[in-house]
This record gives sequence, structure tokens and C-alpha cells, in this order.
Amino acid sequence: MKIDRKIIFGLFLIALVIPAIVFGSDTESPTNHMNIGEILPLWSCIPFGFMLLSIALFPLLAPNFWHHHFGKISFFWAALLAIPGLAIFRGIALYEILHIIIIDYIPFIILLWSLYAVSGGILLRGTLVGTPVVNTCMLIIGTLLASWMGTTGAAMLMIRPFLRANSHRKNRTFMVVFFIFLIANVGGALTPLGDPPLFLGFLHGVPFFWTLNIAPHMILVAGLLLIIYFFMDSYHYRREKPSPINLNKKVPFGIEGKHNFLLIAAIVGAVLMSGIADWGEVSIFGVHTSVQDLVRNGLLLMIGTLSIVTTNITVYEENNFSWAPIIEVAYLFIGIFITMIPCLLILKAGSKGALAFIINSVQDPVHFFWITGVFSSFLDNAPTYLTFFNTALGSYCASLPESAAIAYLIAEHPIYLEAISTGAVFFGACSYIGNAPNFMVRSIAEEAGTPMPSFFGYIIKYTLLILIPVYILVTFIFFWGR
Amino acid sequence: MKFKKILFNTRFKDNAISALEEITDLRAIGLKEVVLVYVIPRDSVAFVPYGGYQKEKELEIKKKVSDKFENWVDILAKKGVKSKIQIEVGMPNAVILSIAEKEKVDIIVAGSKKRSLLEKVYVGTHLLDLARRSPIPILMNKYLAEYEKDGEIITKVNEHIFDRPMLATDWSCPSENALEALISLKGLASKIIVAHNIGFKITKAMSPDQFKEIKKESRKRLEEYQNRLKDAGIDSETSLTSGRTVPELINVSRKNNASMIVMGRTGKDWLSQYWLGGISHRIAETSELPVLLIP
Repeated sequence: MKIDRKIIFGLFLIALVIPAIVFGSDTESPTNHMNIGEILPLWSCIPFGFMLLSIALFPLLAPNFWHHHFGKISFFWAALLAIPGLAIFRGIALYEILHIIIIDYIPFIILLWSLYAVSGGILLRGTLVGTPVVNTCMLIIGTLLASWMGTTGAAMLMIRPFLRANSHRKNRTFMVVFFIFLIANVGGALTPLGDPPLFLGFLHGVPFFWTLNIAPHMILVAGLLLIIYFFMDSYHYRREKPSPINLNKKVPFGIEGKHNFLLIAAIVGAVLMSGIADWGEVSIFGVHTSVQDLVRNGLLLMIGTLSIVTTNITVYEENNFSWAPIIEVAYLFIGIFITMIPCLLILKAGSKGALAFIINSVQDPVHFFWITGVFSSFLDNAPTYLTFFNTALGSYCASLPESAAIAYLIAEHPIYLEAISTGAVFFGACSYIGNAPNFMVRSIAEEAGTPMPSFFGYIIKYTLLILIPVYILVTFIFFWGR
Repeated sequence: MKFKKILFNTRFKDNAISALEEITDLRAIGLKEVVLVYVIPRDSVAFVPYGGYQKEKELEIKKKVSDKFENWVDILAKKGVKSKIQIEVGMPNAVILSIAEKEKVDIIVAGSKKRSLLEKVYVGTHLLDLARRSPIPILMNKYLAEYEKDGEIITKVNEHIFDRPMLATDWSCPSENALEALISLKGLASKIIVAHNIGFKITKAMSPDQFKEIKKESRKRLEEYQNRLKDAGIDSETSLTSGRTVPELINVSRKNNASMIVMGRTGKDWLSQYWLGGISHRIAETSELPVLLIP
């Protein structure tokens, strides 16, 4: 593994920010101008739709082409929106593009990068025998870790030990599917570190610990899934009568790279600090961002780099660590974030925007839960969260500036944010493309020889039969008629 | 040191087969088997964004590589060398080191990259990392290398690489090991050049008397090396220079028509090696000759 590539990637992110601070502003804040969300036509959302369709369809229809050209495709859709946008709206469009890059994209990628780097430096060793009890315990541990080290980090940490523990079992497919449900998705619901949509909410002003409000929802879903899993695993275990693992080759349980747990705590601290401190604002290319957010970004880069430098390379190698997934996310999300600008602006314009029909038809918490969920199942859940977060703001506080609108929404209508948050996080598990770690887990499991269901097989055999009934129960308990 | 079993890692770049044929010269001193290794980088078949693992692509690559290797196996068989094919998916250096350990090979041979105008190095960071971590000798092969001399671009074909090896010594333990390795080339090397450079960093703070003294001591040590080679029945000559070590040693290798450079891996700690680059790594990067690093 080339260490310089990792560091260069981190430095690249810094390089994006520093010149901007140095050269200052040449953009026009829309606060001084018309609200372009009110005049943007619906078709300006087409590049966003195609960007998301590309993510949904290319891996299915042309995986080889997609593997080699996904970056170009992402930049193509971004350019298709940005170039005409800049030509027509000039300074305002530039401001919106820089705003989404500086406020959303860069912090988002830096957080994912740091969590990914640090969790990749932790190696779980040991011969575990995959019995129903052991497997359920591993799923519980992973689910609990996911909210603190990110669903991606927890999934990457746990998947290989989980697969190794079950290498003697015949039917492993359902185990990996439940692993995706719990560790790669539902487990991330408790903090903004857990799942990218929640971090985007945090970046927009949702308090760090507000997400604990959805702990009851998460406990219900995780509890039900774990019970179902335990019964399924017990059933298969009894039928399979697996031959015992050769204990002559028993590897004692151990953790390497333990210092990375401290670095995860440092990441939590840095994110918390940025939510608590108020050190004023600076203007970067005319986009106002808070000093504490910049400090957080710097700290996260330092923590990630410190982890890379202090972790033995053999830990990364034994983890089969690769930068590819995070680089892919960085490439794809620049396309997603830029193309989604018109969509967000129109939704923010509320009933004055071209998406007024959505604003008007999505009224109740149950609507928000399901519409956020259905979109999150097939589109990545982070942009979906942001889209419906803005829909809620457009519905209830369209006349307020964003920070005041969020405070108002949380104080007066928190159930809407609960519905959007749980919809985005939980439904990310519904397909391989709902959340980034899903495809990583699938890839690792397939490489290790565990057959995984096809895209539609996953939905039909597992999502429709297991997840959807659980979510219907969540709907009745938490959102119906409220 | 033995050269019975070799791990030959390839990416099928230009002249890889010629480089392999060069290595078969080692039959004269006991080469029996070559383990042919091709590592499919995991990222090229796994982690399709939002997709899965491309098993079919992996099998397709394995088939193509296997077909190519069949030709190599025939070439080796005609020369009386056994061979084994290993094609694996993973992180290249980890896989190479793991196969080397499992197969108990005596030496790892890996090809260089094409020197670019921008980087001007023959060896990439992957190979340097492998050299840094390998517990066994590693030969960085450079069959065809371009370099500048007096403003002119010269293309050098590195043939008969074991004919006139140059030992660049710093008197360290790994240098001693390198000398032992060279002794085991008896019968293959017509002459060995033993070179030492008194580094600029050492001499710059010295008085003329001290410099004279260190030169005398260095000559004495060179003679000792020469005597050991003579005792082993190998012809040798020595070279003592002073100045900046890397360019001086490369200069000596050119002046003496060396066919390869053999060095002990310098024992700096990981961080200094990474950031500053050890002498051995700098020479591996910048010399147009194949470089054999002995841990």
C-alpha cells in the first residue's frame, strides 16, 4: 500500500480549502439577491436524477465500464449542471456551488476519510466459531460500534472476522445480509458520526446529541432484526450440523492497532467541539463558514494522518485495507452534491418552488418517513436526507434563514426530523445501493466465497420479507397519526 | 547464500521475459526453481462502486495471465529450470511477501518501471516498500534503462547482470551479508568491483589529517574485502571515492562497467527511510543498473 497516496489525498483536501481562504471572496450571496429556488425550473433537477440513476444502474448493467469511468461520469453530470448554471446565474450559481462544496462536501469527505482511515487501522484477530450466539453477539457489538466509528468503519472492522468465524458454515448469505442491515445501516442511527445523512444534518445545525432522540426507533429495529437473525441462524445451524473448526490452528483473540480507538474518541471530540464552540466566522470565497468547523476539519485530517503514520502497515494488509472505496465516494459525491443544488434550492423555496407538489403532498411524519425511506433505498441516503430535510424546512419554515428554521423545526416539529433521519438511515439497508458500506460488505463477502443475492434477489428475499414489515411496525408505533 | 529458488514477480511490462531469461544465468550456481508470481491488485476487481466483486473479471484476468505464463514455463523448462505459477488477488507487496515466505524462496526478483521525465526514477514506491520490508534479498531488475550522460540519452540493455557486480559497501552488517552473497556468485561473476565512498557529510567537518586517516582505514577495509574474495577464488578490484555517496557510487559503477550493484540494505529506521530515503534506496531508484539489496 502506498502511504504517500493516502497522505496526498488528505493534503488535496487541505489544498482545496487554503487557497480559497487566501484569495477571499468573489461571489454573490443569494441573501442579497432573489431566491433562485423560486424561479428554477423542474428540469434543472435532471442532472441530479441522472447522476443518481447512474449510481443505481451502471453497476448493474455495465459494471466493468462503471468501474473504470465512474469518476468521469460523475464529473460529466456535475459539469452539465455547473456550466449552464454559471453562464446564466453567474455569481449566484458560483456561490451555491462553492457553498455546497465548502459547507457540505469537504467536511463530509474529511469525516468519512478520517473514520475510514482510523477504523482501517484496527485489526481483530482470533478464532471465533460462528454459532448463533457468537454471531448474534458479533452483530450486537458491530451495531453498537457503528454509531461511534461510522457504519463504514464498523462494517470494515467486523466483516472479515465475521466471515472467518463462519467459514465452516454452509449457509452464510443471510448472515451477511443481516450484517448489512444492522452494522452497515441501522447501527449508525445514534450519532452524526454513525451515518453520513446524520452528519449532513449536523453540518446544517442539528445538535450532535439530538440524534439520540431516535434511539427508541433504532433499539426497536435492531432488537427485532437481532431476534429474527438469532432464530434464522439457530434453524440453519441445527440443519447444517457444521463440522467443527480445526482448533489446532486456533488464533488467540486479540486486537492490533488499539491506539486507533483513542483516535476514534478524538474524532468524536473534534466533531463535538465543532458543535459546541463558537469562534466566529470566516469568509471563504464569499461563503461564510465557522472557524470551529475549519478547526474540526483540520483536526480530523491530523487524526487520520496520525493513524496512518502510527499504524503498522501489516495491520492494513491483514485487513485487506483499500483506499478505493473512499476515493470512489469522493468522486461520486462531488457529482451528487453539485447536481443536487437546484433540487435543494427548489425544495427550500417551499410552496413557491417548482416542487411545490411534493411539499404539498408530503405533510405528515409518516409521509416523510416513507418517502425519505423509499428514495434512500435506491439512491444514496445522504443526499436523500438532505433533500427531504430541505422539504421539511420548506414546508414549515420557508421564510426563515436556515439556522433559525432548523432550530424552529427541532423545537416545534421534531417528529419530522425523526421521520427523515430514521427513514434515511434505516432504509439505506434496503438495497446494495442505499448506503456506501453495503457494496463494500458485499464485495468482501463475495471475494471470501460467500454467495450474495443479486440486486433484486436481495430486495425480494430479504428487504420485502424482513425489513419492510419491521418498518411498518416502526410506522405504527412512532409515526402513524402524529 | 543460496540462489536455488527465486520468486519472479511480473506485471508483464516490456522486456519482462528478457529479464526472466537473464535470471536463468543463475543455473550455473544452482538455480532449480522459479516461482512466477502475478498479483491482481484487489481494487481492480473488487469494490465496484455500489456494485460487488467482479468474480468473472478476476477469472478472466487469471486465465489471460496463466496463458502468458505457460509460455514462460516452456522457456524455463527448456533451460532446465522448474517453475510454479502463482496468481493471486490482493495487495501486491503483502501477497509477494506471503508467497516468498510460504515457498521459502531465496530471493525476490521484481521489475523496474519505465523512467519518466517527471520522476526520473527507475523504481516506484511499491517496490521500495517491498525492499524495505523483505526479509530476503530482493533484486530490482532493469532490463532496458535509459539515462543521461553528458547531455546525451543512452539506452542500456542490462545483459549478463551477474558478470561484473559492484558491491557498494558501508562496512555495515548488511554489507557483510552482501559480500557473502557475492561470494556465492562464484563461477558466474568474472570480476567483482568493491566500492566505498566516504560520505560528504562525514568529510565536511574533518581536518585534512583526519581525512587522510579515514582514507587509510577505508583502503585497509577494502583490501580485507578483496582478500576474502580472493580466498574464495573470485577476481576483484576496488574503488575508493569521497563526496556525495549516491552520484559517486553511480559514477564508479559506470566507470568500471559494472553489470549490477549489490548493497546491504541500509539500517535506518522506518521513518527516516520513508522520508529521506536510505542510500541503498536512492541508488536503486536512480542507477540504470539492476540493484540487488541484501537485508
